[in-house]
Amino acid sequence: MNLQCVVLQSDCNNCGGILIQYESAAGLCPSAGTVLWRRLRNSVYGCSWRRCSCLFVCLSVCVAFCSNGVEPSSRPAAVRQTPALPDAAPTAHKAWESEPLESHRAVRHTAEGSDALTCAQRDRTLVRVQELTPHRGGQLVWVRARIHTSRAKGKQCFLVLRQQQFNVQALVAVGDRASKQMVKFAANITKESIVDVEAVVQTVEQKIESCSQQDVELHIERIFVISQAEPRLPLQLEDAVRPETEGEEEGRATVNQDTKLDNRVIDLRTTTSQAIFRLQSGVCQLFRDTLINKGFVEIQTPKIISAASEGGANVFTVSYFKTSAYLAQSPQLYKQMCICADFDKVFCVGPVFRAEDSNTHRHLTEFVGLDIEMAFNYHYHEVIDSITDTMVQIFKGLRDHFQTEIQTVGKQYPSEPFKFLEPTLRLEYREAVAMLRAAGVEMGDEEDLSTPNEKLLGRLVKEKYDTDFYVLDKYPLAVRPFYTMPDPNNPKYSNSYDMFMRGEEILSGAQRVHDAQLLTERALHHGIDLEKIKAYIDSFRYGAPPHAGGGIGLERVTMLYLGLHNVRQTSMFPRDPKRLTP
Amino acid sequence: MALKELSSLEKCLGLKKPNKYSTQGERKVPVLQNNNGPALVGLVTIASHLVHEAKRTELLGNSAEQRAVVQQWLEYRITRLDNCSKEEVKVILKELNQYLEDKVYLAGNSFTLADTLMYYGIHHIIMNLAVQEKEKFLNVTRWFDHIQHYPGVRHHLAPVVVLRNRVYPSGQH
Repeated sequence: MNLQCVVLQSDCNNCGGILIQYESAAGLCPSAGTVLWRRLRNSVYGCSWRRCSCLFVCLSVCVAFCSNGVEPSSRPAAVRQTPALPDAAPTAHKAWESEPLESHRAVRHTAEGSDALTCAQRDRTLVRVQELTPHRGGQLVWVRARIHTSRAKGKQCFLVLRQQQFNVQALVAVGDRASKQMVKFAANITKESIVDVEAVVQTVEQKIESCSQQDVELHIERIFVISQAEPRLPLQLEDAVRPETEGEEEGRATVNQDTKLDNRVIDLRTTTSQAIFRLQSGVCQLFRDTLINKGFVEIQTPKIISAASEGGANVFTVSYFKTSAYLAQSPQLYKQMCICADFDKVFCVGPVFRAEDSNTHRHLTEFVGLDIEMAFNYHYHEVIDSITDTMVQIFKGLRDHFQTEIQTVGKQYPSEPFKFLEPTLRLEYREAVAMLRAAGVEMGDEEDLSTPNEKLLGRLVKEKYDTDFYVLDKYPLAVRPFYTMPDPNNPKYSNSYDMFMRGEEILSGAQRVHDAQLLTERALHHGIDLEKIKAYIDSFRYGAPPHAGGGIGLERVTMLYLGLHNVRQTSMFPRDPKRLTP
Repeated sequence: MALKELSSLEKCLGLKKPNKYSTQGERKVPVLQNNNGPALVGLVTIASHLVHEAKRTELLGNSAEQRAVVQQWLEYRITRLDNCSKEEVKVILKELNQYLEDKVYLAGNSFTLADTLMYYGIHHIIMNLAVQEKEKFLNVTRWFDHIQHYPGVRHHLAPVVVLRNRVYPSGQH
């Protein structure tokens, strides 16, 4: 260690030895991070942390020591940023050179010892649990994870450490590394606490079935609690992940959906929830990527609007300074205005607010809408083809890149894999009515499909064509909103379409009326107050291309792709008529 | 209701001359006034009489055992099926489903009066079942479809559509 030091004076006041002053140099024990020292021999000090072997120089502090080893009478001064020599630096008689310093790092300005600890811990390279595989066998690693379970057995304590979807078994055993108190300490750490462990990765002969990392086990040497969890958890994660059927058969606990939603933070830690939301993120990303590749432009539309777009019944009112405004039920109007503004192909991803008092498995008051609008050249089927192609790309992307997530969800909520055809199956409404009649359902030609009929139709289509995703084209005009373009060949039908996944509707779309005159007629026909939609009609007065589009609900698509039964499972913090928190 | 059944039965049996029935009591039990002998009261009684008249006694069963089973089902029709409540419907369908698991006809191996009268009695229930429920009680649906297509049986009743393939795979709800 090269220690620059200076001889202060030739005799110490206390004992008459030579007083030596060390020149400050930045350094602190990388293991301990504290300024601890023990005297090795004259004028050389080393780290007194038990097993650390590095030698160091005291930090930014000049301390005078007597060469006979009398301890300084005053404590070292506070750590300073820049090395400083005391003013009383008298004649330097000699520079002492000793062994080279092993490790020597610049110290960040810290106030006290505990923060110096953080700097040292930054020298710990944390390894992800995912990377604990046999090829790391024998290595000493640091891991930060949560305690998933702990089980003490006399001289040993088995822990399962969990990090997102991955978990690994860890063992604290009484030995030369760990004492009995340490085993007891480890056993008493509450579940879900975040811990840092330093452990040796050991390969095991017998696979550990219950963990994701099946071939290795950690033998813990040191364990620190970073953040402690309260002992009584509102729900147990094993219960939250248990499938319903297993719970019934074996009589073990499962967690109610309401409890899960009330304690969403803990419920979201389960492997199933992590998988669901990673898949949902994938849906969103695939949607964006596919459309950008097709030449679409992403837009953001306002959510505070002046007039309810789809009728006044299902809209939230907000107070807007001295008047009131509404939360947008769909970005419909603004998408169309963008088309009239020559953006040609647009899409937007944003929240949609529907104040429907529907307490069903598939309705939320706030959800994420993925909306598309496109101007077409000759026929609105170009738009249908574009939308279905986007959906097929999304399904393919999920199938190819998210298999782990799909399998994880399938463990708790088993379902059939999602099937689709390429090109997408397109049926006309008339054919669908005929199929339903053949199955014994009585319905009129221009009647809308009720939910049970939609589901039955889904099953009939699945049985006949073997697909879970299809388009129903040419709906009757009477059941569609006023801005839907009527079918030029048959006035009873319209150029509108719905798309279904597993028998449930995910998209409602149509060719829009782009002629202001015709739009006014249709609005009057539906008995809508023209004053309220004046701005909307005006946007078509200055040349508007023929266009069509549609919107899907992100949560519904994820739910139906995975075959889940409640849309609240795919909404991170769901909102429905009865739930406003968390 | 019962009168329509009896007239259908007559056509089914090939009786040329339709009889005049009257009803008795608040439950509208059919009564057949005969020239010789006391009045016949009750659906099953009259039905059996008609079968004898048409000389189609095989419809009441060939062997003693079959005859007994036919009588059992005729009684079942009157006592359990007629005027049953909604909860009982599920129980009846479940019982029938279990019974019909390994049988083509209700009694023995041939078509009998029991099949006809049970078909008339259960028709209004089956007509209102959803496709999924029809698949749940698969044996009842199979038997029902078989009987309703039997020549001459279905007169005054609407045909119930039964899909050829299973639309709901087993185990799914």
